[in-house]
Amino acid sequence: MISAGTFHVIATELTVGMFALAGIAFLLCALKKGPISRESVAHWALFFGLIATPFAIISGINSSPGSGLDNPILANKMLLSMSSTGIAIGVLLRRFWGGEVDIRHSCFGMISVALMLITAGMGGEFSRGETLLVFIPKETVVIFPVWASISLLVVGLVIVGKSAIQHRS
Amino acid sequence: MRFKIAVVLLLMILSTTVSTANPGGKGDSVRSRDCAGSCHGDPSINGMSDAELDIQYQQDVYAGLLTEIQTIVSFTDVSSNNMVGLTLLVNPDGAKDLPASDGWEIITDPNGGKNNYVEIVDSFSSASMISQNWILRAPSNPGNYELYLGIQHGSPQGGVAMTGFSEPKQVTVTEVPENLPRLSEDWEPINKRELGEETVITLETVNTEKASVELKNGGEIILLPVINDKFTIPPAVNPGVVEWRVILEGEGPTQISPWFRLTAQEPGWDVDEFALYIQSFALFIICIGIVIIGKPSYSNSKDSKYDNTSEINSQIEQIDYAKHTAGQASTGPPLPEGGLPDGWNMEQWEYYGHEYLEEMEQGVYR
Repeated sequence: MISAGTFHVIATELTVGMFALAGIAFLLCALKKGPISRESVAHWALFFGLIATPFAIISGINSSPGSGLDNPILANKMLLSMSSTGIAIGVLLRRFWGGEVDIRHSCFGMISVALMLITAGMGGEFSRGETLLVFIPKETVVIFPVWASISLLVVGLVIVGKSAIQHRS
Repeated sequence: MRFKIAVVLLLMILSTTVSTANPGGKGDSVRSRDCAGSCHGDPSINGMSDAELDIQYQQDVYAGLLTEIQTIVSFTDVSSNNMVGLTLLVNPDGAKDLPASDGWEIITDPNGGKNNYVEIVDSFSSASMISQNWILRAPSNPGNYELYLGIQHGSPQGGVAMTGFSEPKQVTVTEVPENLPRLSEDWEPINKRELGEETVITLETVNTEKASVELKNGGEIILLPVINDKFTIPPAVNPGVVEWRVILEGEGPTQISPWFRLTAQEPGWDVDEFALYIQSFALFIICIGIVIIGKPSYSNSKDSKYDNTSEINSQIEQIDYAKHTAGQASTGPPLPEGGLPDGWNMEQWEYYGHEYLEEMEQGVYR
């Protein structure tokens, strides 16, 4: 039987690999260089990276020592991965609705990739105690009050709702 | 260009180095030899540790009772972070080798947990001898048992994972004498507490008429009063370990327990999980919203070099019109290079084509 730790390695490497490929393709899109297939590669790699992400998260939770969120790195990983996933889904939706792959679109793609790679880097620090991201304050967690988070959530839902209607019209 | 990229990629691949697995450790845990040593198992990047390993027992080890063992690591140089992984096992086979397989129970490991694999940071060197204490509950069946000590660590130069294994150390577990004053078989010491809180410990004893507790405080030993089988250890101001033991007197021979360790630590990191989850979800939604906000500029089909739909349509219209007006002389102006403009038909061209040509001359359609 494969342990959660081993499965986590497979899932994270799949996620990180896909996101890294998407990041390079989005960079080429932003520079308007490289093969014509760069747009398809960027979005499909992002899509498959997103599919692998939940498996990485679930296996990571199952394989982590201790119980619950007892480490600031884990909390930061959660915030960053959710932000990255949100941006990635937004990028795919925008493309699905026919949005042009311009510099703004490519930059959002690259931001999503960067956030996911930082999340993976934090996982390395959590499990092995070493990281290349030495300058990022990983021990500091910014937690909003619940009312602020709910307000943000409502604003986000309104924006998503209005934008979805606008895109479809 | 492609050749240069290939050369750069090749150089990057060739410049990679082999590094030691998990140089920061893997964390204390219950691990068999397989797991404890898996990252040190590749024969191309590992080596044999030159550490001398030893396990020492108490003189009398009674079945089902607590006992203290000491593991000793001597004469080995380790990596710059001075970390060593120690594994307590019952066989060298890599299977069914956990102490629990023979009935041992780890009550307190050297780091204050209950694991058979611990990571120790200390001043390991080729001239030092580092010992660690473990509190175990002996198997409930008397007999002869073996314990092994495994070690893994990095090398001083880095890059090589060192592994080692002790010789088997035999221990004889004997039947408990009937009238032996002792701690109850169900009783376990407390291993950890938070700073600033005093700790009340309740003893559960058997065949004991009098129990007294000694607390090691720096170099001196303090006697703590035991009232109704309870005693109190004063609060700790700083993180650290205090050691205590209990002396049990009764009809049988007086028994002295192992030194139990109580580790004081700062309160763990805590977070309001509901606030974190709701914030994560809010960030998820707002990030989607930020990306898709506003109507995007849609892709223009003229940009695609593969999309010649308009040109084909224009040519089809020309052919249709030519068939339709076969034999009739065209009254319109001559067609421009590339045929009819996008969206025009021949009828429109006959009437308005001259305007289009004039505007084209003026540069309107450039």
